[in-house]
Amino acid sequence: MTEGDEKEIQELLQEAFPPVTPELRRDLWPAMLRKLDAPTLAPPWYDWALIWGSAGMLALFPQLILLFAYHF
Amino acid sequence: MDLLKRFVQGDVEAFEKLFRQFQSDVYGWALRIVRDPGIAEDLTVETFWKIYQARARFNPDAPFSSWARRIATNLAIDHVRRRRPEMELSEEMTGVRSPDSLVMCERREKIARAFERLPTKLRVTATLALIEERPYQEIADALGKPVTTIRTRVFRAVRILRDQLNRAGVKP
Repeated sequence: MTEGDEKEIQELLQEAFPPVTPELRRDLWPAMLRKLDAPTLAPPWYDWALIWGSAGMLALFPQLILLFAYHF
Repeated sequence: MDLLKRFVQGDVEAFEKLFRQFQSDVYGWALRIVRDPGIAEDLTVETFWKIYQARARFNPDAPFSSWARRIATNLAIDHVRRRRPEMELSEEMTGVRSPDSLVMCERREKIARAFERLPTKLRVTATLALIEERPYQEIADALGKPVTTIRTRVFRAVRILRDQLNRAGVKP
């Protein structure tokens, strides 16, 4: 492959995807403040129970990993 | 006290100053990768959110802009990876046009589809290097990889695209 190939592919790509204008249209600080002020969503206790339960099951019955691997 | 040191200690005013100073750079970089202004804005806020959360791990002697850009790049790559391919085609490509422009649209669509089929890492590197014409060193810094890796990725992307476009009958 030559440098000419790269130039040709570059021209094709720029034809399909014109370069963007990377200028910010608005100040994003208000959106940042909203995110900072939003309450952090912690996973509920039953999610943790499920995770620890699953981890315990896999530790006790490692052959289950193969079963899950087969199905997923 | 130094702005970065105050930021590391959780000073929101210092964070605001840093945000205002670097939001354009982070936005511009994210936009170059995701190519959608709305998504680039969301990614900019998300980048600074992650920066704020990880402020205790930041070394105030290191350049803030490099750190911000690295986080923005990772978030943008995650976004590109998750995005469904059909969302990539712009309205310009799918709108109603004259026969000539239909041919051009079809051609651009073939190029876009070939590009979408590239692995994400190659696609992002090729976007920055070939479409946006960013220097290899700048891309390497943002991706946290050596320049040789960037060069190799561009080479592989070009080779794959050339083969796919030849098969699709697209000539320069």
